[in-house]
Amino acid sequence: MTVTLPETCSAESVSTLWRETLSEVARLSKGDELVLDADVVKRCDGSGEALIVELHRRSVRQGFALTCRDAGHIVARTLSLFDLASFSEDPATVNPQRNTNTPVQLGQASVRIYGDICEQLAFLGEVAVSGLSLLLRPERLRLRDTMLHFERAGIDALPITLLIGFLMGLILAFLSAASLRQFGVEIYVADLIAIGLFRELGPLITAIVLAGRSGSAFAAELGTMKVNEEIDALITLDLPPVVFLALPRVIAATLVMPLLSTFAVLAGLMGGLVVLTGMGIPAVTYWHHVIAASTLSNILMGLLKAAVFGLLVGLVGCANGLETARTADGVGRAATAAVVESLILITLFDGLFAVLFYVLGM
Amino acid sequence: MQGETVIQVESVDAGYNGTPVLENISFTVRRGEVFVVLGGSGCGKSTLLKNIIGLNPPLSGQIRIMGDRIFGGTQAERERAMRRFGVTYQSGALFGSMTLLENVCLPLESFTDLPGDARNLVAEMKLDLVGLKPFSGYFPSDISGGMKKRAAIARALALDPEILFLDEPSAGLDPVTSAGLDHLILRLRDTQGITFVMVTHELASIFAVADRCIMLDKQTRSILAEGHPAELRDRPPNATVRAFFNREASS
Repeated sequence: MTVTLPETCSAESVSTLWRETLSEVARLSKGDELVLDADVVKRCDGSGEALIVELHRRSVRQGFALTCRDAGHIVARTLSLFDLASFSEDPATVNPQRNTNTPVQLGQASVRIYGDICEQLAFLGEVAVSGLSLLLRPERLRLRDTMLHFERAGIDALPITLLIGFLMGLILAFLSAASLRQFGVEIYVADLIAIGLFRELGPLITAIVLAGRSGSAFAAELGTMKVNEEIDALITLDLPPVVFLALPRVIAATLVMPLLSTFAVLAGLMGGLVVLTGMGIPAVTYWHHVIAASTLSNILMGLLKAAVFGLLVGLVGCANGLETARTADGVGRAATAAVVESLILITLFDGLFAVLFYVLGM
Repeated sequence: MQGETVIQVESVDAGYNGTPVLENISFTVRRGEVFVVLGGSGCGKSTLLKNIIGLNPPLSGQIRIMGDRIFGGTQAERERAMRRFGVTYQSGALFGSMTLLENVCLPLESFTDLPGDARNLVAEMKLDLVGLKPFSGYFPSDISGGMKKRAAIARALALDPEILFLDEPSAGLDPVTSAGLDHLILRLRDTQGITFVMVTHELASIFAVADRCIMLDKQTRSILAEGHPAELRDRPPNATVRAFFNREASS
């Protein structure tokens, strides 16, 4: 058979030729002859060269003879340009780095997770040590950075925290009022909202906002710094990145959370007020019940939880940022991991607090 | 075919936010030559390059790639112009989540309807041209800086451009690797007939590859000198050019 190359071998002309001829060429075997007619070719780009190489390769593999009509020396030039013997059958599968063996992958994943846990523990230890040494030498804390992160994580987050808090109070009031109304005790909605917001929802929703807004930002910031070798520069200048970068963020997140949570609770109480006054309960009665339910222990419990959640978000965000792989992809993964891990830890610690407070009878 | 104008830059003002760093720049690049844009740091080399490759519009003036306007013409004109060249960036700018083969395959997937095995073979041949075929399954993070630049050249070659722009190809490379890259550039020009436009300050590689160069100047915001590098070195038209080619430190 004969394969005639067109005058201009470009991706368009070659792609049809490739589909049409190669299935026929596959049927050739020892003793057959393939004529490659390249006499009229004027221009030949990479795809044309690939077709020539492919035909040559098949003639070697299938044993048929390849005769070239090559007035413009296109075929000869192409075959001389490349090292023909070394082209692989399926280059997409050639990857010395990838291992598709399941037990091996499982093992590698286990080793990686183990390494991650060790790194995170080491980071936690470093933060603890440098945090404690800060008590002896408080002037080592970068106060300006801390204030900056305090502002970014706290004051800038106030509108969304207030909005979500207000809506949570509103929704909670509607939901519980629907049930309690059947017993004619809608007024206890006020107690429920106050206790629910102070002890549970206030810290929780604020922590979720903080994880989404600031935890991811910490990870992305530190991750980009790592990619740009800024972290390496800090280490060689003997400025530990934990003291210089992580501590201001962790401290800011821990301190700002109780404040933000308090605002969320107040906004939630306003939401409840709107619903209950709509149901005909006087505001005075509502506030009376709210104040009665807001015992000191409820408030302190909420503030403690908020601070712990802030600490978690700050730690997880910074740890992921400092451990970022040095690629664009790595920064994205660090930010995702920061949010996901924060949410998991927040839920976990919320559960622990619930058990702890129950056991302590609070 | 040598001698035909492929890039024409006509009285271009280049700069950011309305402030020009270069004014009234005009030059032409001819087919088959290695054209080098020189100049000290901050003189606007990269800004000018970004104008020519269509990333940012110039403040004023016109740029034509084989007669087609990149800015100020129709969309079809711009697309035709953009398809004629490939670009490699300073850091290589390979996509980190893909292997070298996948990086080179990407433009082929998007702009041709070649079947998958054909694409892979074309990509592998491009990697062979730059000497990286054994590494086609590696990720960019697994190879050295010099290899990344060569892989970036392979990706820029994927669609068989007539012009290749290189932004500081030898930045951060050792002399041997850098010389290897120069060798590759000359080989690609000779075997593939590609026109090269390079931005660099590496004197050794300028003398090794450049057919013609222009030197930009920060103070006058204009082209200070134009010609073959050896000519500029031996008969510098002014002190700045002499200082550059003789590596004299300015006081």
